[in-house]
Amino acid sequence: MSVAAESRPVGVDIQENEENRALVEAIEADNDDLTIRHMPGMIRLTKNGQLVINQASVEARLGRPWETHEFQLAIITYFGEFVEWDDDQIIIAWKH
Amino acid sequence: MAVKAMYDYTWPSRSAAELYGDDQLVHVWWRGNPYFVSAQTFRFPKAMPFGALVNDVLKGFFTADPDFVPESLDTAAWKVDHEDLVPDLEASLEANGVGHKSLLEFSL
Amino acid sequence: MTVPAQKPARKLSMKQRYTALTHDLDWTPTYVKEEEVFPFTTFEGIKVHDWSKWDDPFRLTVEAYNKYQAEKDRRLYAVLDGFAQSQGQLGLTEARYMNAMKIFLQGIPVHEYNAHRNFSYLARYANGPGARFAALCQSLDELRHAQTEIHTLSHYNKYFDGMHDWHKWTDRVWYLSVPKSFFEDAQTAGPFEWLIAIGFSFEYLLTNLLFVPFMSGAAFNGDLPTMTFGFSAQSDESRHMTLGLEAIKFMLEQDEDNLPIVQDWLDKWFWRGYRLISLVAGMMDYMLPKRVMSWKEAFELYFEEQMLNGLFKDLEYYGIRPPRHVDWAIGEKEILSHQVYWILYQYSHAAAFTTTIPNAEDQEWLEKAYPETWPIYKQVVWDKAQRVMDAGGRYFNPGLPQLCTVCQIPMGFTEPGDPLTQCQRQTVYEGERYDFCSDGCQWIFEREPTKYRQSWLPVHQIFQGNCGGPTLPDVAAWYGLQPGDGAEYLGSPDHQAWLEWHGQTTKEA
Repeated sequence: MSVAAESRPVGVDIQENEENRALVEAIEADNDDLTIRHMPGMIRLTKNGQLVINQASVEARLGRPWETHEFQLAIITYFGEFVEWDDDQIIIAWKH
Repeated sequence: MAVKAMYDYTWPSRSAAELYGDDQLVHVWWRGNPYFVSAQTFRFPKAMPFGALVNDVLKGFFTADPDFVPESLDTAAWKVDHEDLVPDLEASLEANGVGHKSLLEFSL
Repeated sequence: MTVPAQKPARKLSMKQRYTALTHDLDWTPTYVKEEEVFPFTTFEGIKVHDWSKWDDPFRLTVEAYNKYQAEKDRRLYAVLDGFAQSQGQLGLTEARYMNAMKIFLQGIPVHEYNAHRNFSYLARYANGPGARFAALCQSLDELRHAQTEIHTLSHYNKYFDGMHDWHKWTDRVWYLSVPKSFFEDAQTAGPFEWLIAIGFSFEYLLTNLLFVPFMSGAAFNGDLPTMTFGFSAQSDESRHMTLGLEAIKFMLEQDEDNLPIVQDWLDKWFWRGYRLISLVAGMMDYMLPKRVMSWKEAFELYFEEQMLNGLFKDLEYYGIRPPRHVDWAIGEKEILSHQVYWILYQYSHAAAFTTTIPNAEDQEWLEKAYPETWPIYKQVVWDKAQRVMDAGGRYFNPGLPQLCTVCQIPMGFTEPGDPLTQCQRQTVYEGERYDFCSDGCQWIFEREPTKYRQSWLPVHQIFQGNCGGPTLPDVAAWYGLQPGDGAEYLGSPDHQAWLEWHGQTTKEA
């Protein structure tokens, strides 16, 4: 039986370091019901439905301009699909 | 199913019987004893008597397991390619139905 | 679009830049036929009606690619320098940890290079600009991975055995025929099958299991350089996963006739990839002195939860079902690492890594991680190996193993539900017998017997006289192994050096 995309988890693993602290905090702030798991060197963020990364939230915490392309330096892996990757926002979700 | 290719795709086996002359490969499997992690592959003459295989090769080989009693092979139950085999110790491997890449299995 | 006032206005948005630099640079040939320019994209039977539908969600351009890849390399090389200057190898958990890295170095970089070659070919021969550009980026990534992996591990080559001739071993040594045959199988397929094999099945479905827990394990064992290159490579891997997902969805959306072909490839390459990374299971559970998680837990997290409960529910929409033989893989999660490491243990005298019996601390961890299955293997194999050791010996298998014709791993995997009886499958094709470790490998053979009967099986090659001679020293010499590269870890040159560096002697230990 099919489980709706909105209720299935998506997630992203990020390198845990000083550079990425603002990014992780921004994701935490913009995504309710986030599940966080720490492993050596990395942090795993999962959530049902969709996970959003907002450029404005990251910049506000980082105190400098941040291009969404920069997310590539932080990410280790993900599951779900990049349904949006634009100048101001990245969204990971399942399409179906 | 044929391999999808842009030409007629046929290549020979890299382990065909003729590559071994008068010999052949035989897999010997001690069923139920994972101390030998898999069956063992040997190259034997097709004409080797079954008794020589057991007495001159296998009784020595399996002593790598400290619990192995060589004489136990004298009463082992044999199968070749999953079929029961009552070996004729005087006859050759070939005559006992052990062919190229056959699976020769025993239980103690 | 709205641009915040304090920022310099961009001429084009990210979407526009991407389109301008990929699709807008494409043209339709007029004086040669399309199939002459792109001759390799039809013979597999995949139907494509509109190549412009292939997009890269990363919307990467050459400028952005260079900028961020250069930054990744800067960060990596800063770590490598710091590690080398501070004699970081002294801070590893133990010298035996290096065995996992030896297998990695011997088995992986050369195939990163092969992946680079095949993605270069796609960057030229895919009909659509979106596919070509994504393949070009991946091709460069794979080359970078080969180089950074070799460069990172070259530091350890100064201090440890088993790392000096990986480029030769990769073509010759028995266990390295496993990754070699896997990649050559994919490289000799057509471009669409390659994309399902490597882009989708390997990169999206399975590489998380190779890189993530393993590199986190490196972090846990004091191996900063490996952790850094691993995570750095894996960040590219996110793009590769995206390419793989884009590839499968593109094929499925272009024509419904593509579904059965894609499903068939997925069934094949899931099992091929799964068998390949079983080597990782043995490394994770037995070769890391400190473990982040067990193979079983990683499999549940990165495969069952993310892929079966996430991805395959998504692909259901297109009519895709979970891969054939996936239940067999799930059933093996409790026993896989035990069986793989037992293979490595008894044949490490013919290998370029060392092995040893799990010590008391390891056994305690194994008992906790595998309460059902560890006690069985401890009793049946390890207690016996310990007895041999206590009597002054060391158990090495005196012969050569039966190999699976498809995955080429010694046939030590067992029947479902029976952890002690090895699985034996045989198929007779044109009068010749072939052996398989599982239903999965047998099914793959029977789809394309004329391909797999060409398998270069190391054991058969040794018996044909193609590997230096009939005895173990002959073969080891042909492999290019030197004393200290393989066999038992305790008392090995690596072990002795480690004790000396830390002011101990073998006797005290």
